[in-house]
Amino acid sequence: MEPELAIGLPAAGSVCVAALRARPRAAIAAGALLGLVGLAVIAVSVPGRPSSQLGVTLSLSTESRSLLIAAAVALALVVALAPFLVERATLLMWGLAGLAGMAVIAAATSIEMIIMAVLALAVMQAASAGRRSFATRIRGPVLAVALLALAAAAARSEGPSILSRLAAVGLVAGLSAALGTLPYIHQFDPDERTATSPIPWMAFLGPVLALAVLTRARDLIPSEGGAVGAMVIGLGLLNMVWGSVASWRTENGAAAWHYSFMADWGLALCGFGLAIADGERAALLVLYGMLLSRLPLYLWSRQSLREKRPNDRPINLLAAAMLAGSAPFAGFAARVLLLRAATQLYWPLAMVIGLGLLLWLPPSLRLGRSLGLPRGRQAWGVGIALAINLVIGLYPQPFLSLAGL
Amino acid sequence: MTEAAAFAAWLGAAVIVLSDGRRGLALGLAVTTLAFAVLAWVVGRDALAAAAVLLGGGAAVILRLRAGADVWGVMPPGSTPRLVLSIAGGLLALWISTTLMTDPGAQLRFAALSVVGLMGARALTATESGAVLTALAALALAVAVAAGMADTGPGPAPFVVAALIAAGVSAIRIIEPNGA
Amino acid sequence: MPSIALLAPVALPLTAGGLTAALGLAGLRPGRALVGAGAWGAVAALFVLWLPVRSSQELNLGPLGFGAGFDLRLDGVAFAFGLVILVPAAILLTLQPRSWQEGTVAALGAGAAILAVESGGVLLTALAGGTAATLAVIQLDIEDIRAPRPPWGVMLAAWLALSWAGAILQVVGGTEVYAAVPVSALTVPVFSLLAVAALMASGLFPWRGWAAQLWRRPSLRAAGMAVATLYPLGFYLLVRAYEMGDGRYPQPVLGVVLAWLGVLVALGVALRAQAAATRREYLGEVIPGLGGFALMAIALGTAVGLVAGLVMLATVGVLAACLPLLPDRAGPASLLTLAAGAGLAPGLAFGARVVGLEATFEAGDFLGLIGIAGAAAWVLSMVAAARAIGLPAGRGRPASETFPRVAMALAGLILVAGPALPLILAVFAIPAQTDVMPAPAGSLGGGLVSVVTVQAELPALTLFAPLLLLAVIAYGIAGTSGIRSQARPPLFPIPGAAAFGRLRVAVRSATVPDQYRSIVNVRALEKAAAGGRPLLWLAGLVALAFAVNR
Repeated sequence: MEPELAIGLPAAGSVCVAALRARPRAAIAAGALLGLVGLAVIAVSVPGRPSSQLGVTLSLSTESRSLLIAAAVALALVVALAPFLVERATLLMWGLAGLAGMAVIAAATSIEMIIMAVLALAVMQAASAGRRSFATRIRGPVLAVALLALAAAAARSEGPSILSRLAAVGLVAGLSAALGTLPYIHQFDPDERTATSPIPWMAFLGPVLALAVLTRARDLIPSEGGAVGAMVIGLGLLNMVWGSVASWRTENGAAAWHYSFMADWGLALCGFGLAIADGERAALLVLYGMLLSRLPLYLWSRQSLREKRPNDRPINLLAAAMLAGSAPFAGFAARVLLLRAATQLYWPLAMVIGLGLLLWLPPSLRLGRSLGLPRGRQAWGVGIALAINLVIGLYPQPFLSLAGL
Repeated sequence: MTEAAAFAAWLGAAVIVLSDGRRGLALGLAVTTLAFAVLAWVVGRDALAAAAVLLGGGAAVILRLRAGADVWGVMPPGSTPRLVLSIAGGLLALWISTTLMTDPGAQLRFAALSVVGLMGARALTATESGAVLTALAALALAVAVAAGMADTGPGPAPFVVAALIAAGVSAIRIIEPNGA
Repeated sequence: MPSIALLAPVALPLTAGGLTAALGLAGLRPGRALVGAGAWGAVAALFVLWLPVRSSQELNLGPLGFGAGFDLRLDGVAFAFGLVILVPAAILLTLQPRSWQEGTVAALGAGAAILAVESGGVLLTALAGGTAATLAVIQLDIEDIRAPRPPWGVMLAAWLALSWAGAILQVVGGTEVYAAVPVSALTVPVFSLLAVAALMASGLFPWRGWAAQLWRRPSLRAAGMAVATLYPLGFYLLVRAYEMGDGRYPQPVLGVVLAWLGVLVALGVALRAQAAATRREYLGEVIPGLGGFALMAIALGTAVGLVAGLVMLATVGVLAACLPLLPDRAGPASLLTLAAGAGLAPGLAFGARVVGLEATFEAGDFLGLIGIAGAAAWVLSMVAAARAIGLPAGRGRPASETFPRVAMALAGLILVAGPALPLILAVFAIPAQTDVMPAPAGSLGGGLVSVVTVQAELPALTLFAPLLLLAVIAYGIAGTSGIRSQARPPLFPIPGAAAFGRLRVAVRSATVPDQYRSIVNVRALEKAAAGGRPLLWLAGLVALAFAVNR
């Protein structure tokens, strides 16, 4: 029953918030209550135990559960400490809807259910009022849906080995298209609301989706593990370089954040592609960092970006260090694990990754400054995000144990 | 019968690719829905799945007929590339599902692959929301049909979910920025 | 003493930093006493932990999750480097005024640095050293964001390189714990990585490294702390490498290369020092100069060289506290500091350099050439020091952060400690050396009076004590009244400096020629990649399919 509740409670919360929008306090209270109960259900659920209460077999894996918890905590953080100009009820509504979708993706045992969840989430997000047209916003996720569906079909058919290789291509490309990483970058409008921008795909839904797709890929095409790994690593390296350089050099501050998520995905993809425990650990730490720190910091930087008020206070420098993956933050531990994994597999890859890691610093300084001078709730938020990242960086073991790693 | 259904699925998808008006889009979706329902019933031997497809697709067709320009809009001027896409996509799907893929069930595969491919292409290239939403509804149904290619039957669940998505997608009214 | 007490030297500065932050956030003014007390507490903890037992103590608190265990070890090396780091840090934190933010970051940095030397494995050292580097950079930026500071990228690269070395050791040898690494796991590539990390961490280059650049800052509060906490860490890695290699580097040639690099560092420093325009600029080169000699001595691979290098690092530690407290003006404090830093007889720096050079000749073969080159560098640096006495002072600093008497006392301590060289070797350096490098019986000794090596004996106490007396008399007669500060030309131009400067300007001003701008249009590339165009996506798909199926 737990997976169903993990899906249903956030979904009900989102509906409640939408229904009570005229009374924001009641909406937030109802949504928060249902969301927190949903989080509790996810936290106490037994990983791997299947449930078929709705006629569909659902089961949460340990890793998915840990990412769902991280996403829920991130949502709580950004809603509780949202800047004054941000409508918290709207943020909560979208966040809970996303969480419900993520729970479906995490608990689904077939790739088709994952694909349909992606489709439903894409339509919901693209249908809401935004600055880009509906067709533009839906493009990336639709490509993902089509590629994943074709890949699943190819994987399930008998035929020459090229079929399974094409399935591998489809799964990897589909995942990349859903996330919005290079070469399938979703069009980004710096002035668009975060909820309707490509950021949720990358920074909120993406971690669970990537884990689910790559796990299914292992089941669907077990013989193509090497090809999948090679492609994921290749795309990872590409995104590392492109994301960090573009984040550093692009003119717009919000676009710089968008590219920085891409760079982080590069690291995570490399970790997943290595397909050994250390690589997965590294990827997971990167994703924790993305959910619990980078995403909240992005949201809190929006106002300062609009007002063009960069700052060089200690908090900005600490944020820059955190975003750059400097010790003692989580990024450093992730990088150590990634280097270890790459060394186990093929040491020149570790060298390439190691050199790529240095590209994080210039954009991170820029992003750290773009936070401006956080005050009030934002200052608390930045402090909490830094503290969480610091704890993960210094002692990642409990967080990895939560994911069964 | 399954061959005819598979061909109809492709035909419906091709009509969606070639149409801009709500009547044309609804016609294409209706043909595809019928074809998928037949395939789910005959190949998948799952009446519940077939009913779900029929209901969801039917609802999507009705909802599609209620919004958008009240014209057929089939093959408007400049639609030659779309025609080429429809035919080439169909032929490619046919080749893959019959020659490249060697296990039984080519009809189902052809239907699923051709509709997924064409609807994906339609959604990627269209700018008008009605066409995109129709393509998405058909895409959802095609994904569910593709699930039928699994060795172990997927059961009715994917079809029910796909039907809900198809109907839900068609119920949405898009407000474009700047009135676009 | 329970093993959990090994946490004290790390925990005390961290707690002080945390309390300072808490008080600062609460709107109170915690002042310098708290962080100073934390640092002095850590020094005291080191003594209390080490002196009663004088042997290795360990604490294992389980895995941290990124491949490293939380393993602490206090041995002779950790004790020596702990003192080199903590004593200057404690002096600076106690005396110099800081905002609560600066105080917090400085105390945390000191705690991280001590964790780096107390950690039992490479990866924890990398994490802690990286943390110390991050905090040092932040501290420098808090103080003055426009002033020169170590390049953050280089710092990050250094500690990432060490992490990688640790990862390779784990993969190849099964462990990265210093005491347990199999000798065969420390291969030439792994050692090279570790050495590169060490050189970058301490800025040990023939050109002007970060430790010298910091002295161009308007204020030297953060600079002093950065040098005190970061500079010794690179040397620490080179010393620990002996432990991992069972007393030697994987190939003798690696030690030779590093020793030559050390001489080049010292020579580069001497060349720049003789051309310094101000005394401040000269003083900025003092610590890198000693660092060059220390590198040379440590890399020789002999017990004598290692202990000489460790004593030089002890001198660096004292100077790291002395120089930031020294005001930018002429006077006895400046004179004594110059004498102490340049290695004037019979100071500690003098004695250590003599032992270090002697070690090169004892090492035999062409390593003696290194000693000759080192001696030449030393002579040049002495001339530069003599010239610096009469140079203009420099840009001047806030009086509140300078303490001329303390600076003079510290410089005096270096000079007076020369005769005590055998004692310092026995108490401070030899325990560290025996932990990492087994030395043949009789290769190093001498008791409390002299330093005895295989081929020579340096009667430090009996020779240096009269020399010290003579120096005091000479100073008493001459005083500082005859010193005239004025701009002085360099003794000679630095060879190749002009050409290098022109090359640097040319590289910095290089741009893409107009006719090629349209080809390398980065903005257009970004627009194309991020435009969400289906055709590009299709191309990406085809490329992936081709790559997998080729």
